[in-house]
Amino acid sequence: MNPGSMAEPPPLETLGLCKQYPGVRALKDVSISFRAGEVHALIGKNGAGKSTLVKILTGAVQPASGTVAMAGVPVAFPSPRAALRRGIAAVHQELSLVPELTVAENVFLGHPPTKWAGLAVDAQKTTHMAADLLAEMGLHLSVTRKARELGVAEQQVVEIAKAMSRHPKALLLDEPTSALAREEVDGLFALIRRLAGQGVVILYITHRLQELQQIADRISVLRNGELAAQFTGDEASAERIAQAMFGEFMPVRVGPPETVTDEVILETRNLQTETGVRDASLTLRRGEILGIAGLLGSGRTELLRAIAGVDFVSGGDITVAGRVIKRVSLATMRKAGVVLVPEDRQAEGLVPALSVGDNICLASLRSNACGGVILRKRRAEAIARSVRELAIGTTDVDAPVSSLSGGNQQKVVIAGRLNARPQVVLFDEPTRGIDVQAKQQIFDILRHLSREGIGSALVSSELEELLEVCHRIAIMRGGRIEDEVIPAGTSPRALLERCMRIEKAAPLGKDTVNELA
Amino acid sequence: MNWRDIKAITAKSTLEIVLVLTCIILSVTAPHFLSIENLLNVLRSVSVQGLLAFGMTMVIIAGEIDLSVASSVALAGCLVAYLTQAGIPLALGIPMTVLTGASFGVFTGVVRVKWEVPSFISTLALYLSLKGLALLITGGFPIASFPDWYHILGGGYVLGVPFPALIFLAVFAAIAFVMKRTVFGQAVYAVGGNAEAARLSGINVAFVRIMVFAITGALAAVSGIMLSARIMSGTPTVAVGWELDAIAAVIVGGTSFAGGIGTVWGTLVGVVFIGVIINGMTLLDVSSSHQFVMRGMLIFAAVWLNRLQEKRK
Ligand SMILES: Nc1ncnc2c1ncn2[C@@H]1O[C@H](COP(=O)(O)OP(=O)(O)OP(=O)(O)O)[C@@H](O)[C@H]1O
Ligand SMILES: [Mg+2]
Repeated sequence: MNPGSMAEPPPLETLGLCKQYPGVRALKDVSISFRAGEVHALIGKNGAGKSTLVKILTGAVQPASGTVAMAGVPVAFPSPRAALRRGIAAVHQELSLVPELTVAENVFLGHPPTKWAGLAVDAQKTTHMAADLLAEMGLHLSVTRKARELGVAEQQVVEIAKAMSRHPKALLLDEPTSALAREEVDGLFALIRRLAGQGVVILYITHRLQELQQIADRISVLRNGELAAQFTGDEASAERIAQAMFGEFMPVRVGPPETVTDEVILETRNLQTETGVRDASLTLRRGEILGIAGLLGSGRTELLRAIAGVDFVSGGDITVAGRVIKRVSLATMRKAGVVLVPEDRQAEGLVPALSVGDNICLASLRSNACGGVILRKRRAEAIARSVRELAIGTTDVDAPVSSLSGGNQQKVVIAGRLNARPQVVLFDEPTRGIDVQAKQQIFDILRHLSREGIGSALVSSELEELLEVCHRIAIMRGGRIEDEVIPAGTSPRALLERCMRIEKAAPLGKDTVNELA
Repeated sequence: MNWRDIKAITAKSTLEIVLVLTCIILSVTAPHFLSIENLLNVLRSVSVQGLLAFGMTMVIIAGEIDLSVASSVALAGCLVAYLTQAGIPLALGIPMTVLTGASFGVFTGVVRVKWEVPSFISTLALYLSLKGLALLITGGFPIASFPDWYHILGGGYVLGVPFPALIFLAVFAAIAFVMKRTVFGQAVYAVGGNAEAARLSGINVAFVRIMVFAITGALAAVSGIMLSARIMSGTPTVAVGWELDAIAAVIVGGTSFAGGIGTVWGTLVGVVFIGVIINGMTLLDVSSSHQFVMRGMLIFAAVWLNRLQEKRK
């Protein structure tokens, strides 16, 4: 304890917080104090209780016992409204924008600038203020677009702007960078530093441990809902952190298996879409893990969606196992054995109200049925097999899938797709927001698929990850595949530079991609 | 204005254009359609019922539904007649009736917010209860207790315009302003579009839900009062099926049933469109059975147009 903290109570602290969910104790007696001007990182594996802590601090859920205090005075937050009024703003892990409102309206949602003595919303001012705010944050994004038109990374940027618009005294960031590429992350870090300098309390949650040395002044580690350890930024080493997070587990780098054949399983020639893919040509062999790198807005997601038949393909052709697909659609691509593990698992991958088992079977209903009637035994076997093979951490396959932690939800999405017996699996940011251990398990799945002779394409903003697990990495710029690298001997820095080559001046958004064309 | 502008405008205002075209066709084929008298007649006939559609627009944009409005209309007429019969002056009886209507809305909202009962179910229950209540206070028969001047509220003219039409247009202007320009209006869209996002942004979701039902309840009462003034009695069996007509007008006007999307202007066009079609068919001597079929087809056509518009965007 430093003597200063005795004289002056911290601006924000939690005292003995407990939170119980049916079957889990999400938080057990957690006391943490946050100091002004300090970036306080909170880490822990999936399900450790990080988001629960943020939700209590923002009034989104109520603790079972324990209190939150500001400047030594206990405060109660019965609703997010109450917490916002006390200057606590958050970027929550699950994206939550209103799809039909514009970026500007979303940024000022709940507190729009008004005119006529507060009677009417000042739409013009909303637009200007949002544009100014984004510019000040160093972001280029049209504020008049509707939220539903944005990609995940852009949505995340809007969420950050939304929290910033409150001029908070305490800013809680729950994995704000999980969908961002390094370029934007650097911008965000500069911003965080500036705010911390102004005395704002910052709580920062991340699964990217390499970010810690860059940004964290103090690190708290949660394990099974308990505060397992606390370090200052200098004391933290990779070993100590992993030790605190997992007990004994240490991630090891394995590299891709040697199972690539010469047989081409998927080929695209000059693929074009209205969503911004231009002349994209690639080949994928049986057993190959092909990485796809590129900056935000370079068309990676759009390319995968086009190949999976989700978006309309306006030109070029796709060949699977030597056969040209005539009319590319979800149905024809699915039939040819191509499946997509989508980027936004909450919105596109899962039906949250259905059970774990239901979600596992969702993409392959037919294979467990006979004449349209579901064979319960076969279905139960398929579910049990998936849970075993993918090591899905669940005790009850009848529990709603939304009760699983992020990493396990992601495995459920993957399990569902694999049950459709694919030839080609397209992974879009499969490791977004999941802990190191779960990430390694997903890599294991990729390697397993490779040995089975299935071709995988992997989009990820974490370049280290691509270098670790892929046989080959294609680089996209402005909707095209422009370059290719072999991971061996390539450093993340070098890969990033090749991703940026042309787009250096304009790092963000579909807008910039369109302008380039 | 070049070709692209024209195309953009037609894409944006298809329903308005179809409405104008319909009017042009009717003015040629139907005798007297274009007379001022007939047009005022259309306005008068849609206005009492049309009030419901504006409230319903807010409710549907907020992601809810209100099936109780038609019973509310009938009950309001009976209540104001009952109060008059009991010797309470209309200057007091009318506001009391409107407040009662609003309080039924508040009740629906509270049930929705506190117990998380879907509004489809709670308003279905309320629909039955209010209908029964109207029968109870009247004993099943019309109460004709109103003074003569009361008729103005339902059938009178102010500067040549039917009184209910004035109320209708005033309510349109007020709700259009609220939804388009005010903080509350934006909150309604946000709650219907993504309630959790709204809550985390500090919007009082419970208040928004209760308010949209309260406003709708009050408008139903106003509609009921005007209807009772037109027929000069409180009758428990009026307004049957009006809730579905209101929903139809909202949908024809382009509001999405999923919540978060829609405009009050669209609803106005929807209400007028349906009114014009009915009027036109009556002038052309189309039987009422055929009219129902046509109205059904109209909803299909409108929904199809909407889809088309969405695709083009
Ligand atoms: N609404 C809920 N209902 C039931 N259980 C829940 C609910 N929300 C969270 N949990 C459980 O509480 C525990 C803590 O969850 P929390 O979301 O705080 O973890 P986290 O540390 O943020 O994980 P992640 O890294 O995956 O985001 C988990 O076991 C989770 O399954
Ligand atoms: Mg979390």
